[in-house]
Amino acid sequence: MTQIDDTPAKARSPFSEAFEMFRRNHAAVIGLVILLTIIIIALIGPMLYPGDPFDMVWVPLSPPGEEGYLFGTDYLGRDMLSLLIHGAKVSLTVGVSAAFVTVIIGITVGALAGFYRGWVEEALMRLTEFFQVLPTLLFSMVIVSLFGASLPMITLAIGLVSWPAVARITRAEFMRIRELEYVTAARAGGVKNNKLIFSVILPNALPPIIVQAALMVGSAILFEAGLSFLGLTDPNVASWGQIIGSNREYILDASFAVTVPGVAIFITVMAISLVGDGLNDALNPKLRQR
Amino acid sequence: MSALLDVENLSIRFPIKRGWGKTSWLYAVDDVSFQVNRGETLSIVGESGSGKTTAALGVARLVPNSGGKVDLAGEDFLALEAEDLRKARAKVQVIFQDPYSSLNPRLRAEAIVREPMDSIGTLPVAERAGRVAELFEQVGLRPEQMKLFPHQFSGGQRQRIGIARALATNPELIICDEAVSALDVAVQAQILNLLRRLQRDLGLTYLFISHDLGVVQHMSDHIAVMYMGKIVEYADRLSLFNDPRHPYTKALLSAVPSVDQSRNVDRLLIPGDPPDPLNPPEGCRFASRCPFVEDACRVDQPQLNAVTDQHKVACIKA
Repeated sequence: MTQIDDTPAKARSPFSEAFEMFRRNHAAVIGLVILLTIIIIALIGPMLYPGDPFDMVWVPLSPPGEEGYLFGTDYLGRDMLSLLIHGAKVSLTVGVSAAFVTVIIGITVGALAGFYRGWVEEALMRLTEFFQVLPTLLFSMVIVSLFGASLPMITLAIGLVSWPAVARITRAEFMRIRELEYVTAARAGGVKNNKLIFSVILPNALPPIIVQAALMVGSAILFEAGLSFLGLTDPNVASWGQIIGSNREYILDASFAVTVPGVAIFITVMAISLVGDGLNDALNPKLRQR
Repeated sequence: MSALLDVENLSIRFPIKRGWGKTSWLYAVDDVSFQVNRGETLSIVGESGSGKTTAALGVARLVPNSGGKVDLAGEDFLALEAEDLRKARAKVQVIFQDPYSSLNPRLRAEAIVREPMDSIGTLPVAERAGRVAELFEQVGLRPEQMKLFPHQFSGGQRQRIGIARALATNPELIICDEAVSALDVAVQAQILNLLRRLQRDLGLTYLFISHDLGVVQHMSDHIAVMYMGKIVEYADRLSLFNDPRHPYTKALLSAVPSVDQSRNVDRLLIPGDPPDPLNPPEGCRFASRCPFVEDACRVDQPQLNAVTDQHKVACIKA
């Protein structure tokens, strides 16, 4: 006789299904492992490898391995490994905070434009387009030169030039979702506008925004490296970009001093991209197998 | 019999932007009037784009209206503003067409059913969970399904959740917007029977939107036929099905498939497509497709005139 399975179905939220999907994506999991390793190094590295990164410990530009300095020394004779470990924290912090600023501005502008339409949308989208056509590097350089090259200012500058992409995605998602019947049903059920925006539409609009935000962390790290390379950075803080920037004049004599932090940036941004792509696949219901 | 819902001269138009500063108006619903008696079902039928859904959503204030009067249980529903409107929404609920897009995929079934109670505050907080359980039972869902997410249900079950949500605030009027057209025939029958049982048990009044005349015949007390934003015929069920007067209604009825060979005789075909709604023709809007058209039809718009007590037709030849 056939047994009928009458155990009640287990509740599976859309996010738990996305997580399952992400776990099956090997590249994304490898990316996540690399990223977590870098984050752990950034957090506990300074304790495992003590010492002030700004101390001059040996002759300048000594090649990797000499005198026990794994990655050699920079142009001032500072320990590259120590600089890299401290730089990880700075670069990741800038990347994450800049992405956060981007997402906050982008979601606010995009959600209001996509939900209210009409003149609100016209005004906000013209503003978005204005920011979008500004040359990003130039504009952020202007902000940093005007208001000082401190890390918070650099973070803010990166956020200010990168939000239009998030705003446009958010607006597009809002325009799509606000016409769906469950939003009409919520309105028929007396749900207020602010609740409609933030707890009905926004959670459903999040997947592409999350992907965009993850990739934004990577591009913010690159952006910060670019600004640092051009000298627009706080010289008292060791970010990876700043290490490259300060050693760039010696690139022909001591290429490792530029290569090592460059590789660190490359690996980090690649890991973030892998995670971002994995999230994209996992959160896109069209690709999800049932 | 008192009318629960009295709609007078309802118009709904949408702006269509055509380049700089030029706006044309699309009249989706044009000067429509009808009544629904308490405990009865009025069906609005018509082809896609006839304005039947827009009219119903306009009654529920879910699309902006541009004129007319909607009297719901003695209250001028179109005059309500902001907070008053939000509270009054408890009286009108909607069952939607698509069971896949009408439930928020991020909420559990119980949260979906509970939402209207939470936003309108129709019950004390302590009683809401119990009410949700009661609603689940009423629509034929099992208690353990309350924790599941929408994608874990079948189409028919999802429509039951939609019905439970519509019942949550104890509404007087329920708008069924093509409530069964996305379901397969067997499930359709179950949902229709559920709707009828709920109507009988709870004394509900339905405004039933459909393009399926078989379903309409099963559900309705009165029927309004819409064409291009206008009601062309309005009658009780028997008069409409036995004695259709408007050529459009005749054509619609002749298109209903029937197993009864004797009923399936003269198919009345209507050629062409409806005219451009942005430039509706002068005179009768059906004139361009009407098999019985005369010159007089193209002059004035025919008014909805009573042929009998319960039967109104907008056709000069009726």
